[in-house]
Amino acid sequence: MLVLLVCSSYSYSEEAIYGTTANAADAGYNWVMTNVLPQQLGLSVNSVIYRYTTDKIAEDDMLVHVQNENARGTGYIFRETDDWSGLEGNTINKTVPVNMIDISYWGNGSIEVEGAGSVLDPEVYYSYQYIPCEDPQSDATCPGYVDPTGAALIDDAIAQDTTSEEYIQAEIDRKANLQAQKDEEEQAEREEFAKEKEEEILESLEVLLGYVNTNLMNEESRVLHNALVATNYLPRSYFEAMVGGNYPETLVLKDGRLPDNRKGLRVGLASELKHKQLVDLQYD
Amino acid sequence: MFNKTLLLLALGAFASSAFGEEMEVVGNVQSKCVVTPDTAGVYGNPTPDVLSSDPTDGGVDPIVRFDVIQASLYKARISHPTSFSESPTLNDTVVWTGDTATSQVSDTSMSGYDAAKVEFDNVTEFSLTVAGSTWFKTETQADYGYGKAFPGGVYRAVVSAECIAI
Repeated sequence: MLVLLVCSSYSYSEEAIYGTTANAADAGYNWVMTNVLPQQLGLSVNSVIYRYTTDKIAEDDMLVHVQNENARGTGYIFRETDDWSGLEGNTINKTVPVNMIDISYWGNGSIEVEGAGSVLDPEVYYSYQYIPCEDPQSDATCPGYVDPTGAALIDDAIAQDTTSEEYIQAEIDRKANLQAQKDEEEQAEREEFAKEKEEEILESLEVLLGYVNTNLMNEESRVLHNALVATNYLPRSYFEAMVGGNYPETLVLKDGRLPDNRKGLRVGLASELKHKQLVDLQYD
Repeated sequence: MFNKTLLLLALGAFASSAFGEEMEVVGNVQSKCVVTPDTAGVYGNPTPDVLSSDPTDGGVDPIVRFDVIQASLYKARISHPTSFSESPTLNDTVVWTGDTATSQVSDTSMSGYDAAKVEFDNVTEFSLTVAGSTWFKTETQADYGYGKAFPGGVYRAVVSAECIAI
């Protein structure tokens, strides 16, 4: 069923449309083809149908040309000549097949009379065919149609315009949201880190100051603490209170200038020379 | 054994050839001349005693088209009417006149058909010497009695057109 539907759709899009123009010679013996043929890309003309009546004396010579200029070159793309010389005037009704000539070749048309006589009531029709949507621009419903006014493009461009105020505001908001989210995450991490650190410090202080309030420690810690105290592992300063206040610098540097150590320089240079000699030995 | 077999086969062949057979040959000839009614005629009634297809009398001339694919093999025979196929009862004579001529041609050479046509009785014959389409127009007129009005009613007449192989 699916295959059938696809085939049906394809054949529909490829179906040729046939038609016949209005009378091209309705307004006179010359006509502009762009006003006659539908302006469809790929349109081709199958035949030219014309009819006219000649008014002439039988003995007179008369040629009637029904013709179209070659729009893509010189001369005529279509020229049918009726020779009425020595014949009574009559109405001619003629269909001339023209082997599918593309629309681009069809230049301006005309009926031209050579000799004596005149042409009355001319009618010229063009039979044509074309495949719709061969030119996607021929119909707004064709696939691939692009609005020649560019309205859709302009809308898209407005939507994508990075200089528009709406776009800038949206970008600012988006970045602000991202930053806020990032800040919140970092804040949470910092708080968690600080909490952990605080807990570690508190635990250390408890261990350090355990002798003050040994009841806060468990039995195992107390035994360890007593052992450390007994072995004098802890410095005495930990058991003494430090007097608070200002402790200014007591050391004073006597020399204002500290020269390089020349002895050290010589040792360094000698060491460098020795190293060079050792390296050069492998090349001798 | 081999020879006998051959003999039997030969006898069989003779026996078969003794029956008669008839073979049919079928051919289908498509006419190269087509007659097509183009325009239906209408009688006008310019005066009470006249029915005329002339457009100047308010009528329409019937037109028939002959299409010939090959030249000089056919002739067109067109007869204008000499009686009504349908009419009210007529108690007086009707005088019939008519004329057939080319109306349109698809080739200028067909303009010579009129000069070469043959007329007899109510019949006009044209030799179709040029391939293509020719439109023939027939004028027909009926005059009733001697200045006598046609009875009211519907009048029909027939123009016949034939394509005859020469």
